[in-house]
Amino acid sequence: MTTTSTAPRQTVKPPAARRSFVERWLAMIFLAPTLLGMALFTFLPIIGSLVLAFFRWDIISAPQFVGFANFASLAEDPTVRVSFLNTIVFVIVAVILQLGIALGLASMLQARMPSWLRVFLRSTFFFPLVLSAASVSIFMRYMFNEQFGVVNWLLSLIGIPAVPWLTSPVASAAVVVLVYVWQNFGFSFLLFLGALTNIPKELHEAANLDGATGWKQFSNVTLPLISPTVLVASVMAIISALQVFDQPYVLTNGGPGDSTRTAVMVIFESAFQQLEFGEASAIGLVLTVLILAVTALQFRLSRRFVFYQ
Amino acid sequence: MSSQTLHTGTDKHSGSTTGTPTINRRYRNRRLPAAGTVGRFTALAVAAALTLGPVLWTLSTSLRAPSESFNLPPSFLPINPDFTAYQEVFRQINVGLLVLNSALVTGLIALGQMASATLAGYAFARLDFRGKKAIFSLVLATMMVPVQVTIVPVFMLIRGMGLSDTLLALILPAIPTAFGTFLMRQYFLGLPNDFAEAAALDGAGPWRIFRSVYVPLAVPGMAIVGILAFNFHWNEFFRPLILTISEQNFTLPLGLVTLQGNLGTGSISVVLAGVILSMLPALVVFIFGQRTLREGLTAGASK
Amino acid sequence: MTSEKTPGQPAPLHAPRPGGGLSQLTRRSLLGLTGLAVAGATVGAWPRLTGTDIPGRGSKGLKIAILGTAADAAARQGLVKAFTAAHPDIPVQVQAIQGADWKDFFSKILTMVAAGTPPDIVYVATEGAQLFADKLAEPLDDYVRRDAADMSDYFDDVHPSLLEAFMYQGSLYQLPLDWNAANMYMNTTTFAQAGLDRPKDDWTQDDFSATLRALRKARPADFTPYYWTNRLFGGVVPWLYANDTSFLTETKAAGGDWFWDRFYPNDPARATRGGGYQWLAPNAEDGRVIETFDYLRELVAEGLGVRPESGGGNALVGLFGNNRIGTTPAGGYWAQGLHDAGMTADQFDVQFFPRWRTQRHQFGAAGYAIMRTAKDKDAAWEWVKFCSSRDAMQLAIAKPNTTPTRRSMVNESFYAATGPKHWKVFYDTLDRFPTSGPIPAPPQQAAVETALMKNVSTAVSGSSADVRAAMGTLQRDLELALRRNS
Repeated sequence: MTTTSTAPRQTVKPPAARRSFVERWLAMIFLAPTLLGMALFTFLPIIGSLVLAFFRWDIISAPQFVGFANFASLAEDPTVRVSFLNTIVFVIVAVILQLGIALGLASMLQARMPSWLRVFLRSTFFFPLVLSAASVSIFMRYMFNEQFGVVNWLLSLIGIPAVPWLTSPVASAAVVVLVYVWQNFGFSFLLFLGALTNIPKELHEAANLDGATGWKQFSNVTLPLISPTVLVASVMAIISALQVFDQPYVLTNGGPGDSTRTAVMVIFESAFQQLEFGEASAIGLVLTVLILAVTALQFRLSRRFVFYQ
Repeated sequence: MSSQTLHTGTDKHSGSTTGTPTINRRYRNRRLPAAGTVGRFTALAVAAALTLGPVLWTLSTSLRAPSESFNLPPSFLPINPDFTAYQEVFRQINVGLLVLNSALVTGLIALGQMASATLAGYAFARLDFRGKKAIFSLVLATMMVPVQVTIVPVFMLIRGMGLSDTLLALILPAIPTAFGTFLMRQYFLGLPNDFAEAAALDGAGPWRIFRSVYVPLAVPGMAIVGILAFNFHWNEFFRPLILTISEQNFTLPLGLVTLQGNLGTGSISVVLAGVILSMLPALVVFIFGQRTLREGLTAGASK
Repeated sequence: MTSEKTPGQPAPLHAPRPGGGLSQLTRRSLLGLTGLAVAGATVGAWPRLTGTDIPGRGSKGLKIAILGTAADAAARQGLVKAFTAAHPDIPVQVQAIQGADWKDFFSKILTMVAAGTPPDIVYVATEGAQLFADKLAEPLDDYVRRDAADMSDYFDDVHPSLLEAFMYQGSLYQLPLDWNAANMYMNTTTFAQAGLDRPKDDWTQDDFSATLRALRKARPADFTPYYWTNRLFGGVVPWLYANDTSFLTETKAAGGDWFWDRFYPNDPARATRGGGYQWLAPNAEDGRVIETFDYLRELVAEGLGVRPESGGGNALVGLFGNNRIGTTPAGGYWAQGLHDAGMTADQFDVQFFPRWRTQRHQFGAAGYAIMRTAKDKDAAWEWVKFCSSRDAMQLAIAKPNTTPTRRSMVNESFYAATGPKHWKVFYDTLDRFPTSGPIPAPPQQAAVETALMKNVSTAVSGSSADVRAAMGTLQRDLELALRRNS
């Protein structure tokens, strides 16, 4: 998110040296609450996690130094492996769906229509965003119930037999993705809507004169113009999808089998249910490195594909 | 939203979103503009129905008598709304206390974030000091660390501060905000320089320029940070799950999930009534803060 | 796009008027006022923010943690009052801790230990008995021996199998107060529709399958003949026990003679009693385990049973009450639940779990454990002892929302308001099938339960070959689980 905003704008430059001295002190005071807070509640805990990852600790007895054993057991624990794999697949599918649906709806909303309808649609697509993931997962869990859920009832109307949504591996993974995307596509939708609205109409007119319409115009004119937003939207979507917890925790509790267990769920389970705090820290560190790597990679790629005006 | 003026043709984007546009289709659209329009509005209508449907189903099921909550077909319009499920929610959980806790936690986090993010954002945007870029990148990088990674050390820290199982344990660690700082920095960068220059010529020092010129201007930006914080922490689930133990310290989402777990009667209606009740504050934010929230999200990401 | 060109960026709503002026002044004073109001509200809410307004917080009295809601804690006030009358010098405080299940509750207790605010006494079910015995709880041996004369009234009234479930490595850790076996509940309405009578006491697994088929035939749609949930109690384990096996090898620790010889000298099963159950090795690839899982898989495949949902079951009462379920395993606790859901005594009934190779039942029980960290263990024992008295148990268990461990309390009048007709099944289970055993829960129960639950669902939703594969995975997962801290 930072590469787009290059060097900060020149601030007011007072002539006196005293002035910059005051400014420096003021900056320190202004930054103090945020930086001290982060030092205490983010950086110190990260260091703590880093240390903890080399210990075996059950919170009751004294920690025991085990070297790299936690990382080694990570590598051979099939549940951890599966959960990382699940997370990666989840991120890919959910982010593509989220961005695709959001971009589709945002461009469809550019069509001519009465303004009340536009406001209504915009508000509708935005609404799930203000709900809590926990309560959304609770009602979705009932809707997807195999025996009495409304989804299977609707499917039965068109002759489709009951699907075990939450109790079969593939279907339950699909439900977690659907519920997550249902709640989150509105975020990307708003970003795209803002970007599309800001495209100067002359560009489209020029494109029309050149004979570019429909998909061609979209891919050659619209998409490059909103590519910075696509980048930001995808970075944000990926970071948030990598940390998915509430939906699988409430909907399926990771099951059936390990089919919907995600990386952060395994961190939670090994720390707070199995009291393997060292192992949990090790998993967390691996996940953090993964997130940092993915984000860095995205910005790398973006240099090639993102078009800055 | 002025997009109406942007696209006078009705079907310029037709097919762009359905994924498989073909030459044929585009030609057809040209000759029959209505077809693309119909397709587009059908898609929008379906999307709107899929978005609102689950919420409406939840509402209508919560208005059924608990004994009828399993009946099929599910009714989308309860003819005789029945409010016993709502009474049952109030009987089973202390809704008032849950709301008070959620309001205290989210309110203080929002205020704390507004204050700290305004100060830090201003420093990053308009003050000169060494290592600014590096520090700013460091602040932004904290957004990428999942909360689950730091929760155990944070838990021990909270214990050391003697704040285990308190609302403050939820509030304090949430106040430093990378995203809020980022938003406020962008906001201050977007404000014109002229006022500051004029004030400096009048002999105002950096503090006076901040307090008298920029703080009043930054109120809309602060509102964005506040509403975003409120929306996020109102719905937060994981940290309260770990950091609170006593029922008296639960926030709403946690209370709801336990309502589901403790439910001896097993009535869907009651759980869903709780879900609907918990949605009400979110709905208020949605109605009154929608514009601010929307602009905040858009502003934060388009830079 | 540089920061100068930022579409969608919020424009300042107000330009400052030159020289400040009135509007700015009011805005500033408004800000100041808001600040004051916030500060005032924060000070006012300080007790709420720091939790100091929670009754009993920081009190010196005995802290007793139970699983439940504030309403459940309030319901024990009568018990607390009676205790205070008997022991005015021991202040006690019951604290309800919420959890979706026992596993959740135990992890909350461990969190309290980690937070430095452990309770003194915890109400622990068999799921966590060994976790507590191994790491957290104080043995009761010395107290039981010291107060043997007072205690014999309790032991005379409680079945020894229930006590054995709380023996760990030769020591006794809890006095069970309530318990439930996994019996079979029947919806009599749906049984009548299928022309079925209540099955015989010694019905077999084949009888059971036939019953389900008859139920299915009578109601082809919107109905589940056999509903079960995926958890340690009432899931796959009762079937494993009936098939004379388990997913962990079950052995008994040495020791415990001091207890059995002193309190249960006439127990017909005395020879089998020991120093407590031990689950030390996984047994998932045992032929009978595979056979059992395959049977359940067939029930699911044939449409006779549901695929079990993990952790769920809160829809169960509603579905059963709506006649959408024919049979399901549950214990005496369900009598009150079904009554509250509006079922009359003749609409449901109960029978022993069907026989397979044996008719061994599974049960779960619960009682208070004294924490090793308790400040005043003697006072804590007084609470434990008091709660095992008949008067206290009648106060604690006024309604059949669980089965009291004192046989004398399981009587006609206890079930008068709720049914079922054959309530005698509940306690007779222990006499008729003396080998009935507790929920298999070694100290690593959280990891074991997770391993079991996740493999149950995959085992029963595929083919017969999938069962074998799933049991291989379960075996491996259990091996890992048993190596864990807890």
